[in-house]
Amino acid sequence: MSSEKATAIVLRVIEFSETSSVVTLFTREFGKVRGLAKGARRPKGPFESALDLLALCRIVFLRKSSDSLDLLTEAKLERRFRPAGGNLSKLYAAYYVAELLNELTDDYDPHPGLFDAADATLVSFASAGEDVASALVHFELTALRETGHLPTLAACAACGRDVEATGRVPFSQRAGGVLCKSCRSGQKQIISVSSSVIAALARMAGEDRPSSSGGGLDARTYGELRGVLNHYWTHLMGRPARMQRWLPTPVDGTSRTD
Amino acid sequence: MISESVTTLVDELSKLPGIGKKSAERLAYHLLRVHESEALALADAIRSVKENVRYCRSCYNLTEHDECEICRDSKRDTTQLCVVEQPRDLIALEQPGTYRGLYHVLLGRIAPLDGIGPEHLTIDALVERVRGGTFSEVIMATNPTLEGDGTALYISNLLADMPVSITRLARGITSGSVLEFANKEILADALAGRQKL
Repeated sequence: MSSEKATAIVLRVIEFSETSSVVTLFTREFGKVRGLAKGARRPKGPFESALDLLALCRIVFLRKSSDSLDLLTEAKLERRFRPAGGNLSKLYAAYYVAELLNELTDDYDPHPGLFDAADATLVSFASAGEDVASALVHFELTALRETGHLPTLAACAACGRDVEATGRVPFSQRAGGVLCKSCRSGQKQIISVSSSVIAALARMAGEDRPSSSGGGLDARTYGELRGVLNHYWTHLMGRPARMQRWLPTPVDGTSRTD
Repeated sequence: MISESVTTLVDELSKLPGIGKKSAERLAYHLLRVHESEALALADAIRSVKENVRYCRSCYNLTEHDECEICRDSKRDTTQLCVVEQPRDLIALEQPGTYRGLYHVLLGRIAPLDGIGPEHLTIDALVERVRGGTFSEVIMATNPTLEGDGTALYISNLLADMPVSITRLARGITSGSVLEFANKEILADALAGRQKL
């Protein structure tokens, strides 16, 4: 067993016994790590209550060579996550970030870019004035890009030819993006998406960080965009995300900033 | 090789939290070794708990009557209501003997990632209780975790329009400890929740 150090975001905490927990962490250095934290639920000890959901901490763990859980030996809290202004939309959006990280990544498959994007998104949810919906969509697109699942939005996912972005555009979850008219026929699991939503997705996927102007998503665009992303995640995960019903709605998603 | 009854007992014991197959076998052999009356006393205790213990109709604490001892106690302060996640939290808060108000047990916390929403808890009953009660203060004593805080926040939003003050348990430095070894989050909490001397 080798001892490793890493910076981690806590994705899941399951009570294991009176004082111990099984935790799932997304580390910058090693990707997803699952481990047993003995005595983690005691206020005193090597974990100091650091293993709270979505907390950022520095951890030390013993890496097991077999399939069994790693053993966490230490966790030092760097930053506890609390949504700014007690905003429940931000809290649920942060839970969704945790769910996507857990579902999208494999054990010991590091994605430092994805880690940094998740960390920045959680920081933004802990800050006043951030547009929850835009920040969340931006994170989702970053997560898709970092894991190689970003749908093609300009060229046909089947033949590679440019797709004319006018009116409504066929979007295939199975093919992984938009389709041209000639490739549309015979394809299954296709939804029709307005070209303005495809343009918004393409614009946000190309941005390094969410637009400071709030992303410019009106309620109608966000509503349709949310629907497209929800369908796409359901296809990738094989089931709807648990947090889907808790996400910002078209009504509150673009209006609430605190 | 082992009798069917023993196998069944081991299987049932290994369903208990924190009990693995080996521990279950050890417990089963212990029960086989002890006097019959001692083993059956355990069986009777389990049967009695399952047959007699239920949730209090007012606060959802565990009780053997329609209402728990605390709800039936006329000396309790009916203007204060303390909201906790589990009956064991209520027991912990009763230990210092300083709180004389009533309780409401949620029977969990909102944990969407585990599929637990407000509809799985006793939140509707809590709102009705506050609406029709004599309370002037609701103390949110859910655990100081992200999910505990989220649950308290959800409930405080529901009670926002009612004429009650909503408070949260204080958090910060443990009495008897030293500042030097407290982490920055604990110090920040302690500073935010400082009190006038």
